[in-house]
Amino acid sequence: MQRRRLRGGLLGVLFFGACAVAFAFLALPVIAIFTQVAPGRLVRLLGNPIVTDALVVSFKTTLAAQVLILVFGTPAAYLIASRRFPGRTVLVTLVELPLVLPPAVAGLGLLVTFGRFGLLGSTLEALGLSVSFTQTAVVLAIAFVASPLYIRTAIAAFQAVDPDLVAASRTLGAGSTRTFFRVVLPLALNGLAAGEALALARSLGEFGATIMFAGSLQGITQTLPLAIYQAFAINFDVALAMGALLVAISAVLLFSLRLILSWQPSRRTSPSLFAPLR
Amino acid sequence: MKLGTLALVGVVAAFAISGAAARTNTTLTVYAAASLTDAFPKIAPGAKFSFAGSNALATQIRKGAPADVFASANMTLPKGLNKDSFCSKPVVFTRNTLVVIVPKSNPANIRNVYDLRKPGVKIVIAASGVPVGTYTLQVLKNMNLTAPVLANVVSKETDVREVLAKIALGEGDAGFVYSTDAKTVPGKVKTIKIPAWAQPKVQYGICTVTASTNKAAAAAFIKKVLSKKGQKIMRSYGFLPRVKPKPKKR
Repeated sequence: MQRRRLRGGLLGVLFFGACAVAFAFLALPVIAIFTQVAPGRLVRLLGNPIVTDALVVSFKTTLAAQVLILVFGTPAAYLIASRRFPGRTVLVTLVELPLVLPPAVAGLGLLVTFGRFGLLGSTLEALGLSVSFTQTAVVLAIAFVASPLYIRTAIAAFQAVDPDLVAASRTLGAGSTRTFFRVVLPLALNGLAAGEALALARSLGEFGATIMFAGSLQGITQTLPLAIYQAFAINFDVALAMGALLVAISAVLLFSLRLILSWQPSRRTSPSLFAPLR
Repeated sequence: MKLGTLALVGVVAAFAISGAAARTNTTLTVYAAASLTDAFPKIAPGAKFSFAGSNALATQIRKGAPADVFASANMTLPKGLNKDSFCSKPVVFTRNTLVVIVPKSNPANIRNVYDLRKPGVKIVIAASGVPVGTYTLQVLKNMNLTAPVLANVVSKETDVREVLAKIALGEGDAGFVYSTDAKTVPGKVKTIKIPAWAQPKVQYGICTVTASTNKAAAAAFIKKVLSKKGQKIMRSYGFLPRVKPKPKKR
């Protein structure tokens, strides 16, 4: 008994120590961003045109990318979640691959696909579309790296929808379109919102693929992370101010994600006297 | 409990490995301008190099980066570091010139520097603050091309090799790089000369980093770069002698 308590105590101390190290390691660099420059100056530096231009570019491109992600990602996720077909696992792996790819590889891939001499480059050029160095390129880069986060979460959300409810909706005469919009989508909405929050956070932070594929020009393609990279070597304090801004935005996004996930919608569509209790 | 012991052993091993990695800093660490990427490793094959825009490297040194030598594509940055006691008094170790490069297929049909004014030409330059970016602005000013050319700039890169890559890939129509960079991708880009009267004074400065724990090796490296053999290697990559040769008397 004595020995057991001693070991438990030792283990407890070890766990507590490891936990403290982990917390300090993760929190210190984030806190340090706010400690180098006085808060008042940090806020004033946000008025620098480099920052305001980057904020506008980040906002516009991220928003456009989210529209693409939701419009194309939602049906894709629903099909993958609701159908069983040969090659499904391969498809899911392909969709998730950009998640684990280094951003530099994503940038290379986009260049050899949409670049002027890329796979689709001459076709696009013939159509009078030139993607490189435009905001379109930034949007494509963001959508490429962020959409897997949304699709992945959305697949799980759709799979979690009770098939009995879908079947009930169909037997009660609702068509598949009506069932999707009135039953499936509302039930999966929670998970979809969580996936979107993650994709949004990833979008704002996109750096590697963008700088390789879209270049960097203030007011056109220079997003906040790109502006930080350029300011780092020219005006370090401005870089810190932008870093602080991104920390704040990301914290808000993560916090809302927590709220979304903790909010549980009713699993039952209507209270029924005769429904079996589980 | 076995698991706990295992974890403890793992943590100790991890610290031992990282500690060992931190101690082996007897090899020389050289922070050098991106344009030196090909030439410098030939001068000191055993050294570790970090190639990037000189301004980014200078900032890293100011933030305590473990550099022994700083080789910059201008004199302004090392002089600034020297003024704030971050490095020794810099010396000029080589010179360079600027050129305009276009992709081999020359999609915008650029024949000379003045063609860069044509509307719609996609020009890639380095950001101002990066030495080559500052030199580019000087060339444009000397040739009275600043406004029309800057209006065509589609991207400002953080070092000269990124400008080179964007043009070699054919994404941009034209870019400003050092003549030495253009030589590293033969067959991918065409070079258009910038007239001598419009050339900026491109001097490369080298210094020993004050915080270096390897000062003897750093000094030896600088000596090697300045030596006949080192200068010969630099010239083989197209760099110019560190002192402008005096015109021969007739």
